[in-house]
Amino acid sequence: MDGICLELAGKVPAEGSRLDEADEHDLIRRAQHGDRAAFEVLVRLYDREVLRLAIKVVGSPDEAQDLYQEAFLKVYRSIAHFRFDSRFSTWLYRVVMNVCLDHLRRQKNRNEVQAPESEEGQPEFFQTLADEKPGLDPERSVQGKEIRQRIGTALSQLTPRERMVFELKHYQGMRLRAIGELCGTTEETAKNCLFRATQKLRLALVDLA
Amino acid sequence: MECKTFDENLALYLYDELEAEERSAFEAHVKSCQNCRTLLEQSRGVQTLLHQRVTVEPTPELLVECREALYRALDHEQFGWRGLIRSWLPVVIGFPASRAVATATLVALGFGLGWVLRPHANRLSIPVKADMAQAVPAGDLSNVHINDITQVAPDSQTGAIRITLNAERKMTLEGSVDDPRIRDLLVNAIKGYDNAGIRRDTLDALRAGSRQPSVREALIYAMQHDPNTGMRLEALKTVQGMEWGADLSQALIDSADHEQNPGVRLTAIDALVNHAVQAKDRTLVPELQRLAGNDSNRYVRITCAKAVHDLVGDGY
Repeated sequence: MDGICLELAGKVPAEGSRLDEADEHDLIRRAQHGDRAAFEVLVRLYDREVLRLAIKVVGSPDEAQDLYQEAFLKVYRSIAHFRFDSRFSTWLYRVVMNVCLDHLRRQKNRNEVQAPESEEGQPEFFQTLADEKPGLDPERSVQGKEIRQRIGTALSQLTPRERMVFELKHYQGMRLRAIGELCGTTEETAKNCLFRATQKLRLALVDLA
Repeated sequence: MECKTFDENLALYLYDELEAEERSAFEAHVKSCQNCRTLLEQSRGVQTLLHQRVTVEPTPELLVECREALYRALDHEQFGWRGLIRSWLPVVIGFPASRAVATATLVALGFGLGWVLRPHANRLSIPVKADMAQAVPAGDLSNVHINDITQVAPDSQTGAIRITLNAERKMTLEGSVDDPRIRDLLVNAIKGYDNAGIRRDTLDALRAGSRQPSVREALIYAMQHDPNTGMRLEALKTVQGMEWGADLSQALIDSADHEQNPGVRLTAIDALVNHAVQAKDRTLVPELQRLAGNDSNRYVRITCAKAVHDLVGDGY
């Protein structure tokens, strides 16, 4: 459990000074007794990282905003059940993971019916990819765009759980044990997901590498 | 190490998840096997390629917007029915002497609500898929207690809607918005379900049924009251495609006066103005005159003044 805590705690942005554990526990207890101000302080301690993760998972800031709200509302409703047997950050991120997983599952189902298109006619996910400097080298720019589209398509072919594990491993650099705990599964399952994800991505992108 | 083990360990090697001993064995195999060496190089190339995807950082404005929306949702939570239950339940349970009374009250309340809500439960008697038929008598969902809606998937081509929910077990309902029982479920979901993603999917599902009064009312409600800005905007776009009526007119006027988000508010005003001008609807002139004279936004004042001028000529 500590593995997760260290990784996440290091990434939690401090608004003002970071709280020590005793202060955080005090805030949690107050929030558990309905102190809204205490809950809002907890939100501000962790919400930048939650939003950043949500944006990475769903690609679109608008959808990430929905996930942000849904996750913190779930935390608000269930904070009374938090028993201090893990770090608050671990518990919070587990809620966020579940919300993200549910979202990816819904999105996958929706895409099977009809792929959502943005105004430019590209799936929304591609909006998160970098724009190269198009003025400098048009051929390279077109190539870059094509590569990013291929990456987006390849990532969208992963199952929601594979996508989450891959996201947390490749882009967040988390340990598999921590990923397993956050996603409410075992390290072995996380390993298998990473194995399948990398295999699928290699097959889809090897000609570009 | 065999090539099969190499393959199994490849991802773990790339992401530094192998123990030192496994790592050494892996590297020794790579030195001796040309095929696996090629595979490793290809995989490294793909790994590098995947880093071309750029990390999007949340802007401070987005974070502020998220917090404000969350605080509004928390207000709703705190002062709505959930907050009410949360506030009195611990007090009652906190006194040992009153626990028995509280339990009896809750049991009685449960029976009472069950009795009162029976007609509503009956509305859920919808034809069901085979996997669901095992859980409840086929075609009858009476008295099924729905815990959670996990998916609303409308098919825009056929008009079919698939709803997945958790009751005693996971269930899938299929039907269309023309089915009053599906419709009731969706109308309740768009108005009060917690999950914004489900509400968004529900909006898509209801779009086809906007001629139905309950659907129309729910879409207008979502446009005005949904806690999520994007959802209000989507609902606003949807209601613009509906037949004009006094309810829609009043809702757009209310949005023009009370909508918190400037983008949604201006879209509502544009919808009002466009309708008034295109349909030559002079009943809206007093409202447009009021906005033209008093609104704090210059664009709104100019747009409304022009619309009034188009409608009543130089008399304005």
